[in-house]
Amino acid sequence: MNVKQLWRERSALVIVAALLIALSVIGWTAMGQRPFVRTLLSGLTLGALLFMVASGLTLIFGLMDVLNFAHGAMFMVGAYAGWQFYTNPTFLFGLAPLVLAVMTGLALTPVLRKLSIDWTIPGHWRQALRTALIVGSLAVALLGVLGLGFKELAETAMVPSMVAADPLEEATPQEPLATFWYRPTLLLAAALLLALAQARPGDRSQVVHREEVRRGLILASTLLVLTLVATLVREAGPLAVLKMDANWRFVLSLLVGALIGGGLGAVVEMGLIRPLYERPLFQVLVTLGLAFVLTETIQVLWDPLPYQMSRPPLFSQPGKAESIWAWMTEHTSTVDVMGVTFPSYRLFIIVLGGVMLVALHLLMNYSRLGMIIRAGVQDREMVEALGINVRRVFTLVFVLGAGLAALGGIGAAPFIPVEPVMGDRFMMQGFITVVIGGMGSYSGAAVGALLLGLSRAFGDYLALKFSLTPAISEASTVIVMAIVLLVRPAGLFGRKE
Amino acid sequence: MSHILTVDAIQTYIGQFHILEGVSLSVRRKSITVLLGRNGAGKTTTLKSILGLTPPSEGRVVFDGEEIQGKRAYDIAGMGIGYVPEHRAIFRDLSVGENLKIAERQKGDLDRRSDFIFSLFPDLKRLYHLPGDHLSGGQQQMLAVARALVPDNKLLLIDEPSSGLAPVLIEQVMEAIRELSATTTVLLVEQNFLMASQLGEHYTIIDEGKSVHEGEMEELVEDEALIQQYLGASVAQGGGGR
Repeated sequence: MNVKQLWRERSALVIVAALLIALSVIGWTAMGQRPFVRTLLSGLTLGALLFMVASGLTLIFGLMDVLNFAHGAMFMVGAYAGWQFYTNPTFLFGLAPLVLAVMTGLALTPVLRKLSIDWTIPGHWRQALRTALIVGSLAVALLGVLGLGFKELAETAMVPSMVAADPLEEATPQEPLATFWYRPTLLLAAALLLALAQARPGDRSQVVHREEVRRGLILASTLLVLTLVATLVREAGPLAVLKMDANWRFVLSLLVGALIGGGLGAVVEMGLIRPLYERPLFQVLVTLGLAFVLTETIQVLWDPLPYQMSRPPLFSQPGKAESIWAWMTEHTSTVDVMGVTFPSYRLFIIVLGGVMLVALHLLMNYSRLGMIIRAGVQDREMVEALGINVRRVFTLVFVLGAGLAALGGIGAAPFIPVEPVMGDRFMMQGFITVVIGGMGSYSGAAVGALLLGLSRAFGDYLALKFSLTPAISEASTVIVMAIVLLVRPAGLFGRKE
Repeated sequence: MSHILTVDAIQTYIGQFHILEGVSLSVRRKSITVLLGRNGAGKTTTLKSILGLTPPSEGRVVFDGEEIQGKRAYDIAGMGIGYVPEHRAIFRDLSVGENLKIAERQKGDLDRRSDFIFSLFPDLKRLYHLPGDHLSGGQQQMLAVARALVPDNKLLLIDEPSSGLAPVLIEQVMEAIRELSATTTVLLVEQNFLMASQLGEHYTIIDEGKSVHEGEMEELVEDEALIQQYLGASVAQGGGGR
């Protein structure tokens, strides 16, 4: 433990910090206070958004070696989910019972494993049985959703219900409960068949932990209750949400968006990534395919149009607050920050990014899960040899990463257009961020996002000032990446292999 | 049941390479058994196959009365097997304390065992808050062994604990392993024949992926022809002046 060692570890951070401070001083004097502060704040906003995408991407890659090309799509799904929930949650409430029913069934997998592990099935029949179960499950699921008006449900939010004085008028007629209830029931049955296939009946090489069975039962019964509740509040729920205070509805949208993103992450990891661990290239391909599927699905449901989600009242009162303190009471859409008029919502994004960084830091350094993730990034095999189910940690990290990306999406929705291409756009930037920061390092992702955000903002400023092509700001990000990689091939915080 | 572990004719492929072509061995409770053999004979793969990290495609592995071949590595480890891999694979980004804590299988494992661990390796107590990559090679080896002692393991698989260590440190590691064998069972892979012969009570020799010989260490030490045949190079390297 000496100065040299400390320098080797912290040099990246010190150099970046010194560079940023030097550039800030130059920028401040050359640009003048106002343009500088405005550009800086824009850069920070973009940096915060990039961090939300890149942090999950880098964790997933570092731990699982999976380049998740669907990460941008998760960002997009989060934006759409949050926008739906905020504008008119009829669609989400309509689907919730079905999704919850499926989850209930799948949660029973360990229980079914315990029940079916001692069945005597000849080896060659086992695979056939599994195939039959999966096919049967798909058939039952199809039967369950047949005739359900997905598109009609989806369109409920396309007409912003905010314009209507009474949100109740916007309520779309739904299937009456008397004809609806069979759908969740069938989906539950389908999920049970799938869970039985997952349980691999008769395969005695599996170990059934009593703890897992108990947890499965508790989880499944909780989900079952939620399914019932969701079925019953299918119509009342959206109205209750719409009548709620809009600020609280926005907070709920953030949560719902992140939850949906995380849930999607869980499904993707367990259904697509996990069966392909022996074939890493296929994992990358499958995430790429998934990105296309998600983008197209969203185009079908909501057309390729851009939507603008309205900002919650907390950030949308007319006028300008003289300071952040004044904004606290006035809730205006713009705030005066050091002489610059800046949208208050963007300041919120910067704060949200900061909060996420702190939360991630606490999780990674002060929890057992974080400890296992850090260890697993370095040596997965050894973590497994300690008796830790690394695959389950993979799922958690995937859920966490997808949830963060989705949270970023819904956070961004009120100030960038919600449209099917938003995922791709952030995806590429996210990859560059991760490469700059070093694969697998969330602090690297934070620094990379900061660098990228600032270079884009200042690139835009330069392009405008010297009437250069706006492409210069796009190019600047790649230039930053090239320079970083020349100096440090593993990225700023990457470890040399 | 005197044997805690019985390996019966396992075969293991890594990719397309047939690494183990029939390895059998057994490990008696509360003893130290040494796996001997030339470089590349398949000793490390044998340990990894027992643990399920490179699952055997044929043969049986019975641990504590239960067949474990084909089970997941974390399940096998969870049954009470500790693994100390070659090259001191500790987690460099984690502190010494975290390296120990991550090995807990139940809350409080480390608290329960810390007195025992620190009595074996007093250095670790002093280094508790340092990151793993600040440790010297010998300290890392101690940490790797200590990590396997945190949960109540019935069997320890230790791979080449002496490789790359200075003689003084080898003594220290040997002393620790000897003390361990009083309370637990050890299956040790060791190139250094001097160290292996002083520690081991029983041995199994692996050659070209097959187990070819086993017996009591006392007899092996006398049998120079056998040593020459299977271990020639490694004995010379390990100071085979005996």
